[in-house]
Amino acid sequence: MNRKFRIAALLGAATLMSATALPASAAELKVVASFSIIGDFAQNVGGDRIELTTLVGPDGDAHVYEPKPADAVAMAGADVVLVNGLQFEGFLQRLVDASATKASIVELAKGVETIKMQEEHHEGEEEASEEAHHHHGDIDPHAFQSVPNAEIYVKNIADAFCAADAGGCQTYQANAMAYTAKLKALDEEVKAAVASIPADKRTIITSHDAFGYFAHQYGVAFLAPEGISTEAEASAADVAALIRQVRDDKASAIFVENVTNPRLVEQIAAETGLKVGGTLFSDALSDESGPASTYIDMMRSNIATIRGAILGS
Amino acid sequence: MLLSRTAPALALVIACAASPSRADERSARRLFVSDHAAPVVSAMDAATGEKLGSFDLKSPAGLYTSDSGRTVFAVQRDGNVVSAISTGISVDDHGDHGDIEVEAPKLLDADVTGKKPVHFVDHHGEIALFFDDEGIARIVSEKAVLDGRPSAREIRTASPHHGVAIAFGSHTLMTEPHPEKPVEELPVGINVLDSSGARVGDLHECPDLHGEATSGNITAIACAKGLLIAKSDKNSPRIDFLAYPDSLPEGKSTTLAGGRGLQYFLGNFGPSAVVLIDPEAEDAFRLIELPARRVHFAVDPVRPKFAYVFTEDGRLHQVDVLAGTIAQSLSLTEPYSMDGHWSDPRPRIAVGGDSIFVTDPLKSTIHVVDAASFAKARDIPVDGKPFNIVAVGGSGETH
Ligand SMILES: [Zn+2]
Repeated sequence: MNRKFRIAALLGAATLMSATALPASAAELKVVASFSIIGDFAQNVGGDRIELTTLVGPDGDAHVYEPKPADAVAMAGADVVLVNGLQFEGFLQRLVDASATKASIVELAKGVETIKMQEEHHEGEEEASEEAHHHHGDIDPHAFQSVPNAEIYVKNIADAFCAADAGGCQTYQANAMAYTAKLKALDEEVKAAVASIPADKRTIITSHDAFGYFAHQYGVAFLAPEGISTEAEASAADVAALIRQVRDDKASAIFVENVTNPRLVEQIAAETGLKVGGTLFSDALSDESGPASTYIDMMRSNIATIRGAILGS
Repeated sequence: MLLSRTAPALALVIACAASPSRADERSARRLFVSDHAAPVVSAMDAATGEKLGSFDLKSPAGLYTSDSGRTVFAVQRDGNVVSAISTGISVDDHGDHGDIEVEAPKLLDADVTGKKPVHFVDHHGEIALFFDDEGIARIVSEKAVLDGRPSAREIRTASPHHGVAIAFGSHTLMTEPHPEKPVEELPVGINVLDSSGARVGDLHECPDLHGEATSGNITAIACAKGLLIAKSDKNSPRIDFLAYPDSLPEGKSTTLAGGRGLQYFLGNFGPSAVVLIDPEAEDAFRLIELPARRVHFAVDPVRPKFAYVFTEDGRLHQVDVLAGTIAQSLSLTEPYSMDGHWSDPRPRIAVGGDSIFVTDPLKSTIHVVDAASFAKARDIPVDGKPFNIVAVGGSGETH
């Protein structure tokens, strides 16, 4: 029971009625978001009715994040916990156990048409070495990289907030609608930017397979030495195969990611003469000073970086 | 890892009755206990206390288990050797289920010899042993030890000293001995060495260096005025200094334990306190005063919310890592005064499965505490003076 309600109960029914007629005080709903992109969605839907704690912050890698005691404390006190799901947050179950949270855990990717990790068979490569670190057939968890999927996340957030705080439901729905309109415009913007890139130039390289949904939605092909999780390291064979593909002129540009070690990408760039075209924001936003501190800015920054590197080359 | 609350035999029956087509579910937990005075390690079933083996050593030993739980290392300071014992239990986590293989425990033909081994550090399966009287670290992989071909990599330092090494990916973190009094004084810092043994960057200063642990993505090393915090970075480890804040009383940590499941450290701090450390939090240090002087402490690898401290008044305390408080206390033994020599026989804690195990060397007993209820469950009588103790095991399917 929150403090406001306790006080209202003490003052009696008459006061309670006038209290409910007052505008809702800030931070009625304690919300935990598992990582920065979901945190941005939640803030847009919740506005000042929610008190938001984001676990994996800007430039953080949720795949390998290690939860801390303070995260468990936040989880224990939360009304709603928003997560991506699809096994994106490897730390989630440990945190649920450690915190013994009674909050509802809401998987925002629910309702998304999932895609499996692209099968990568590099020519001449032994199957065994690849099998050791790729899990073929695993579901790609990075659904948020397609803007229509982000709309589904936002709807799921509004539903979860309404279920937990019926009094704020109208506000949440209105906020979600306004934000969704911005997302629809963003989707068109990204499509238009991709359309301006020649079709035979739309293959690029990143560190890990974070852009499957972006590829699917917008028609840009991504190659990556690491799989859908950053947890397993790429093998020398994967890197060699990528270098061959670049030499065969199959890739137009190469990018580092904000959440991964740039070493592999820099190695591939050095060996192929391809210049690193900038930083793509894959699994996290940038901090306030960066170009991708909101989801909308992140998508804009990514497509501008991709377009700039390809057309500039 | 699949955890079962049921005794192994019962679990087997239920699993078979409920779904005869499925692989058998089995759990196995073992204790390895060294004696305070005798050169021996005993292996026993943690559930029944049944003795499974006894292994003769060169001297009384400190016991350490590898992170995988497949190997126990018996560090024989006075025997000038580190022996390895296969626990006989291997649990492979496959995400949706675990596989377990159980064999008899056995002494491996994998001794690593050298003068006065003391500090043991497992980092992702690479075991670094430091031999004080030579100033040499010998690094072996657990896999090679289990295969019975432990070819140790040697890294020398300038002088014999009470040092420690940590295998950190392709690098090694290695203590720098005190320049004037290497043997008498504690090390003064950490050097990062590359795979060729060459130093990378400058010395990371850490006067009075003693105590290290790894939790999550972080390794912490205790110094006089704070901790060195090591993480992997682009090309080589990144090391930062985290100073003790003024809000802490006079004191320092000299022993650290790393949280499992949650990323944090538990350290001693003065004679009658422990400190919870989250290096990435704004308030990184939370001091917990104890009702008496501290004897031993351990983190709970199964229930990340808890850690345990034993105090000289004979009580075991359950520390709530989230709240930063002592949640419960339980009287277990007669008092074990901290007066006297630091190495006198006193209780030690190990946690495995649903139980907390506490040795009671002067009563030839291991007390078993139920972790869920934090109540005394039973006693396991043992010979001699049971001292250091480790618990291994888990549950899974047998194929
Ligand atoms: Zn990712």
